Amino acid sequence: MATSAYWRTRIQRYRLMGNKCSSCNKVFFPPRLVCPHCGSVKLDECKLPEKGRLVDYTVVYSAPKGYETVIPYVIGLVELENGVKVVAPITDVDVDEVKEGMEVELTIRKLPEQLEGGMICYTYKFRPVIK
Amino acid sequence: MREVAVVSVGYTRVSEHWEKSIKALFVEAALKALENADLSAKSLDGIYVANVFAGCLQGQTNLANVLADSLGLYDKFAISIDAGGASGALAIHEAYKDVAHGVRDLVMVCGVEKMSEASPQEIVSALTSVVDQEHLKYTGITVHSLAALIYKTYLKRFNKKQEDVALMSVIDHEHAATCHHAQYPFKLSLETIMSSAILADPIRVLEAISPSDGSAAIIMCLHEKAKELGLPHVKLVTSQIARDRLNLTERDDLLSMKALVEAAQRAYSSAGIRPSDLSFVELYDDYSIMGVIALEKLGLCGPGEGVELLKSGEVKLSGSIPVNTFGGLKARGAPLGAIGVYQAIEAFLQLTGNAGPNQVKNARIGLTHTSCGFNSIVVINLFEVCC
Ligand SMILES: [Zn+2]
Repeated sequence: MATSAYWRTRIQRYRLMGNKCSSCNKVFFPPRLVCPHCGSVKLDECKLPEKGRLVDYTVVYSAPKGYETVIPYVIGLVELENGVKVVAPITDVDVDEVKEGMEVELTIRKLPEQLEGGMICYTYKFRPVIK
Repeated sequence: MREVAVVSVGYTRVSEHWEKSIKALFVEAALKALENADLSAKSLDGIYVANVFAGCLQGQTNLANVLADSLGLYDKFAISIDAGGASGALAIHEAYKDVAHGVRDLVMVCGVEKMSEASPQEIVSALTSVVDQEHLKYTGITVHSLAALIYKTYLKRFNKKQEDVALMSVIDHEHAATCHHAQYPFKLSLETIMSSAILADPIRVLEAISPSDGSAAIIMCLHEKAKELGLPHVKLVTSQIARDRLNLTERDDLLSMKALVEAAQRAYSSAGIRPSDLSFVELYDDYSIMGVIALEKLGLCGPGEGVELLKSGEVKLSGSIPVNTFGGLKARGAPLGAIGVYQAIEAFLQLTGNAGPNQVKNARIGLTHTSCGFNSIVVINLFEVCC
């Protein structure tokens, strides 16, 4: 991904920003350009809940370039409090201690991959909620 | 609509062809297909080229133009088709429509892919590139991890064991053991598969496709013309395509596979047949679990009964519904853009009685299922023997 593309997606990436159709109120993540339900192109930015539940997860051992250094890592299917689902990295938990149904919350973390010129990249991840 | 026939096939073995370029692979398969039909390249009205990765792995775009030129077809119609794993079958679909609607009379469809030039990490990235990259790039999410989520959902919902699902790969390898064009022509035990490395838990390396090089070409024409030419041929009865949401998180259910169900139903009703009328099926098992789900969604068994069908042995060459008769994606190999064309060739070999030791008895009608992005694009082609 080019620097400009990384920059362009920074809001959704850093703040878990989706969007919401102003006609039918459906919420999307990643943000959509056209509402697939009603066809409206009027979609407003919509901050997604930062908490959710880990529906299921997998531990990755075969990684893309840049991620070999961090295997094994966990990728989870998270259902947010408003029902929107997100596939995202799960962090701050040992691969043996991840549990289905775990309460998780948003956090922003550094990625192993860098942009050309060495610019450090960040993205949303989810971590277990500490009670 | 005019009736469409496949009159000839040509293909390379699926392998890691270090010594051959993507052009050389294409020319080899194309010339074999022409030679087998005693046709010259000049007699073709055009070519349909299916490929996914030439742009990112070979740095070669405009592929159909380059390949047509390399065959000396610089003055004929040529089009590139990229729909991930469904590319080959979609190219056949497009050629089918053109011949059926009288746009062209004699055409070649070729699928070609050269994946062996990439490192394992580049392959993971390339395979993942068929899903939305603006969203997924810079997350570490891989195509394997998405398949793993589907796999775990299936095991939980139907209370099945991974050992049962992995049988899909055992059967693929059993069928590939006697297939000359297979990338991995040997048997594999369930124990070997279950003890292989993990890609994304629970998926084992030996339950998934590996990088492959290969080229597959078929010549299609009007059914009338096939008879005129006096060539052994099969009818392409129908070619159906359906689509579903690309993002798994936007689907109601990870196991619904709506496009597969829709394309299959349309194919059956268009041909006036039922699943039980099929003589064999070549299905898209990029992961063992996707093969098991396909058995169910194609209507060969009920929901959650895919593993029972595998265990029953009915999907073997001697069974009532042989599946992946030359080894499927796992063992014949999966040069991505060429998969659908290899499947069509396998249907052709079965229906013309040229399948050798892999011949299915009394093969009358065969189905190929090709998919991209967890069945977000599905192409179902139905081939029938000609009397
Ligand atoms: Zn809407």
